[in-house]
Amino acid sequence: MEGSDIKVNRSKTGTEFGIEVSQLDFAYRTEPVLKGVGFRLDKGAVGLLGPNGSGKTTLLRCLLGQVPLKGDQVKVLGWDMARQARTARAGLGWMPETGGIIPNLSGVGLVAYMGELSGMPGRDAMQRAHEVLHYVGLGDERYRPCDKYSQGMKQRLKLAQALVHDPEWIFLDEPTSGLDPRGRVSILELIRDLARNKGLGVILSTHLLADVESVCQEILVLRNGKLLAQEQVAAGSREPRQVFEVEGFGDDPAFRAGLAALGATVVDDKRLMLVTLDLAQVVGGTTGGGYDTAAGVKAILGVAAASDYALRRVRRRPVTLAEEFYRMVEA
Amino acid sequence: MPVYDRGYTHWEPSPRQARPAWWIIAKRGITEPLKKRWLLVLLLAAWVPAIVKAVTIYLKLKAGNLADLLGGGWASIDPGGFLAFMEGQRFFVFVLLAIVGAGLVATDRRDNGLSLYFSRPLGLKAYIGGKSAIIMFFYFMVTLFPVYALCVFAYLIAPEATGLDLLLLTPLRATAYCLLAGASISLVLLAFSSLGKRSIFVMVWWAIMVMGTETIGAIAEGLGENSVQVANFLGQYHNAGSLLFSTPARLEVDPWVSLATLLLWTAGAIWILRRQIRPVEVVS
Repeated sequence: MEGSDIKVNRSKTGTEFGIEVSQLDFAYRTEPVLKGVGFRLDKGAVGLLGPNGSGKTTLLRCLLGQVPLKGDQVKVLGWDMARQARTARAGLGWMPETGGIIPNLSGVGLVAYMGELSGMPGRDAMQRAHEVLHYVGLGDERYRPCDKYSQGMKQRLKLAQALVHDPEWIFLDEPTSGLDPRGRVSILELIRDLARNKGLGVILSTHLLADVESVCQEILVLRNGKLLAQEQVAAGSREPRQVFEVEGFGDDPAFRAGLAALGATVVDDKRLMLVTLDLAQVVGGTTGGGYDTAAGVKAILGVAAASDYALRRVRRRPVTLAEEFYRMVEA
Repeated sequence: MPVYDRGYTHWEPSPRQARPAWWIIAKRGITEPLKKRWLLVLLLAAWVPAIVKAVTIYLKLKAGNLADLLGGGWASIDPGGFLAFMEGQRFFVFVLLAIVGAGLVATDRRDNGLSLYFSRPLGLKAYIGGKSAIIMFFYFMVTLFPVYALCVFAYLIAPEATGLDLLLLTPLRATAYCLLAGASISLVLLAFSSLGKRSIFVMVWWAIMVMGTETIGAIAEGLGENSVQVANFLGQYHNAGSLLFSTPARLEVDPWVSLATLLLWTAGAIWILRRQIRPVEVVS
């Protein structure tokens, strides 16, 4: 058995590879954990963000069909996870945050065992276990008992067992938890490679915003069991108030007075002026779906021209995922 | 291309058939303990009574009543003799199953293994079936397989004296008995295992279940309170087994009552397993 460039199709219809969640409510006993969560994901790298206890792990368990669900609330690869979870799980990989190691087995033994349980013939599972362990960088350690592995090795092993059956999606719960910076970077590189180059869907649940920023194209933000936002990581802010970095020289007081007349606030930051502008108040600043940054730049250019102020640079200050996240959860 | 240079490639399925999940779980659960040398020694020790019985059968069949001097029961080749032999193996059943079975679910619960199992395309029945098969295999190793060997041995040394009954009916009875008793014992032990996260605590509970109830039964018998013998856990299996082997009851309790007691134990064990084995820990 040698690896293939063509992937086994695990979709129910052969064409549905996404995830669809609609009006998902879930409670442990009487404690509600998820409240009316709904979203649709196409295959890609998705970050699942939220404070502790926001329901991230429970949402992943719902996507795996590990908890009782009502019909048609969760569909993965076209399968209804309330009734067809077992079939769907042949196409899903799961990396739990804690534990997830079966003692007394070697690394290769554990990964092959999980491969067989995923429906692979024994010999295929063993060969594939060697491959994925090499891929995650545990090739030299694969015969060691897995309960003797370091934390970093355990995380890699858990990633390997999630990959052994070549799933369509992998759900990773805090994959960089407990890793040193180097281990964290290398695990993130593997995840990025899987999502961008190998065609796997990845849902990365984490507290570390930088991890999501470096791997994911899309984010889901949960708070108190509710979905606060589903956004593209690169999309930037949808807030009307945006910050512009301005650098120039000339009639400084006149320029500042002109900005104040626009309703902007100005803060000096070394050579830069940080101009916060409410795009809703700017002519042409509001578009159908949000706010037009170009209108803000145009307004600043207009004020500069009117006040004889020579501009060297005007640009919208990039919004970090952290700023965006805290804005959403603290709103 | 060498495996270490290949990177991540997609899996190309071969035409080979995949095994059912319960089989995979059982195979791993049986082969892993057998790699331990001391467990093999224990298994060999469990066969010593069978070797002694084989010698006495040989003496009885080939040297007349000489075997009676060594103890007539050991040489018995009627169905009751084999049921008594299996009853005599209860110490090995107790020890071996405690070692092999105590951690089967407890370890998975401790290490969040259940979450891994149930992220695969398998259900509760396959998981319990696989784990149960591990316990049954070791139970058979010290009860059923020695009976098979003894029946074949007795038939081979004196076919005219033993007849086909010994070769067919006794093994059939023993198989039916061991399948039912093994399934029930394994479910009860798994239920104990699912109640804890550490094997040692499960072993303690198992010891109380087997040795404790046997002691209570023996004390009750001594005091003439025969109805209390129904508490004797392993004793109930042998008592109910007398129905299958058409022999007198082993305890002063109606075998049908023993059977009903065992059914209750088994139903209770299934109820516990259904509650305890899930991929998600519910913390109240």
